[in-house]
Amino acid sequence: MTTSAALTRKPRSAALLARQVMGEAGIGIALLALVVVFAVAAPKFATSDNLTNIATEITLNTMLAVGMTFVILVGGIDLSVGSVMALSAVVAGPLLTAHGLSTPVAILLAVLVSALVGMGCGLVNGFVSERWRVPSFIITLGMLNVARGAALQYTNAKTVYDFPAGFSLFGTSTVLGIPTLFWIALAMVAVGHLVLTRTVFGRLVFAIGSNEEAVRLSGHRTSIVKVAVFVISGLTVGIAAVTYMARLNIASPILGSGYELSAIAAVVIGGASLSGGKGSMIGTLLGACLLGVLTNGLLLMGVSDFQRQMITGLVIMVAVVVDYYRGRLAARLPVEA
Amino acid sequence: MNAKLALTACTALVLVTTLTACGQEGDSSKSTSTTAKGGKPTVCLVMKSLGNEYFQAMQKGAVEHAGQRGDLTLNATGIQNETDIDGQIAAINKCITDKAAALVLAPADSRALVAPLQRASKAGMKLVNIDVKLDDAALKSAGLDVPFVGPDNTAGAQKSGEVLAKALGAGGKVIILEGVSGAANAQQRKAGFEAAATAGGLQVLDSKSANWETDQAYTITTNLITAHPDLQGVMASNDSMALGAIKAIAAAKKQGQIKVTSFDNIDAIHPYVQDGTVVATVDQYAAKQAGDGIDVAMNEIAGQQVSTWVKTDVKVITKADLG
Repeated sequence: MTTSAALTRKPRSAALLARQVMGEAGIGIALLALVVVFAVAAPKFATSDNLTNIATEITLNTMLAVGMTFVILVGGIDLSVGSVMALSAVVAGPLLTAHGLSTPVAILLAVLVSALVGMGCGLVNGFVSERWRVPSFIITLGMLNVARGAALQYTNAKTVYDFPAGFSLFGTSTVLGIPTLFWIALAMVAVGHLVLTRTVFGRLVFAIGSNEEAVRLSGHRTSIVKVAVFVISGLTVGIAAVTYMARLNIASPILGSGYELSAIAAVVIGGASLSGGKGSMIGTLLGACLLGVLTNGLLLMGVSDFQRQMITGLVIMVAVVVDYYRGRLAARLPVEA
Repeated sequence: MNAKLALTACTALVLVTTLTACGQEGDSSKSTSTTAKGGKPTVCLVMKSLGNEYFQAMQKGAVEHAGQRGDLTLNATGIQNETDIDGQIAAINKCITDKAAALVLAPADSRALVAPLQRASKAGMKLVNIDVKLDDAALKSAGLDVPFVGPDNTAGAQKSGEVLAKALGAGGKVIILEGVSGAANAQQRKAGFEAAATAGGLQVLDSKSANWETDQAYTITTNLITAHPDLQGVMASNDSMALGAIKAIAAAKKQGQIKVTSFDNIDAIHPYVQDGTVVATVDQYAAKQAGDGIDVAMNEIAGQQVSTWVKTDVKVITKADLG
């Protein structure tokens, strides 16, 4: 029942629409409340410059969270994103500094290589966990170490630097006052949203997360979808790696450590269930915004490091508890009109 | 069946060990082998994360120095990350098992490593502390007297801070980017920066930890520039964080208005020292430090008295030094 409902999931009736809006509005309301608090408490918070700052700061996490949403929706997890990002960056980075390549060619090549490295690692994650039925938690934990070690080995622990000026200019450019890199992150969210809501593949992702067996029995090849979500995660990691390099002008083998946890937090705060089948791309974007606004606001207020860490943790805890109650409230609304 | 399984496990273990040894040997000479040959004493060098350029340089310097001396067998190991205390304890225990003559340690924690050192001392090993000084009180209560061969992080940061203070003049408004909260060298560098700020009449607007990391330093600097638009200087406790601060300054279009001073002297910082964004960084000569540590260990093995603090070089690097 759940499966067929998910497969034909479209907000046709008013009640169903209300249910979906509730699903994302919960986190939206929390975000709004946080914005109001900071606008009052931190004098410089509600300025256009600061909004640009927030957009810049949440770009990487948003990108990683887009891929992570796909993985979590099928009931998996990808712990390797931070390390794979470092590997993608240090493999692609030297291409940017290579002599004899014109800047556009070098950038194009770097993007391509970075994406391929990310997708390759994703393919390994997906294939191994699917072929040998290993929980993705453990295989991606393995990849976390393999990719980090490989990044260190490849660079001999040295930071790659000296990128072309055009590349760094792109990294700091803005379109309509919003950082170009954030536009790219938003585009990724939009594409992810369309794939999840408007394609057969997207329906299958949700369906597998709710009831994999039923999807299999109805004649779909679940393995392909489950491997594909890890490749998608790898692709977003590859794009994030280039974004990191464009913004900070370095590729360090130790970059991105711990980023997997921020990405997972964004997805779960955005209303996704770690057991799969429930979540949305818009929720993920709001989750990333919430974490970004929190860091930004607390820094502007001059809250100490230790308190900032505690408050961030508490907000994550409160957000998921609120989500639980919102879910129960939404469940009371009729599913079919 | 079980025997076969055990055999497979053994083979796998041997394979892993061999691979690890090969990995370590990569660019070094053969002196990293663990067994003492021809009566040469084995000296254990236990460092922090080899994912850090600083300890890479230290390992390289140690291997080269041991090769030049030729009268010892060096066994150099690192750990996974800066705070992997258990990893260091395991490495020290391995040195005890190997019956090494001396242990040269760059501690991941200035207190937690004292107890394992006590065991090593009881096993008859000579001890030398490098890089970050072990806590005096903890050493005293353990009844240990371990010579320290290393830089004065506080003095180094103070010198780096003084260059910034001179560039900004009294009343300059600065922020400090700290390393991992709780790490001894992070605390010492912060203390050094603060001392320089006080002496030079600088006003420290805020001090935040960016965990030695570029992206976090970028985020923090960006926000602190917003909170304090009159900011004039950033004191970064390492070059990786300075790189993040530089990008934040560029993004805020404040190039030339905000100066950075830093610590570590990695290659990636050099372009910014040359263009004047970074007024100074500090070199602690990691490679030489390990060599000095080995020398002190060998002197101890030979029965010589060693002074408690052999200070190694700390040099401020400015545009003039890079030529």
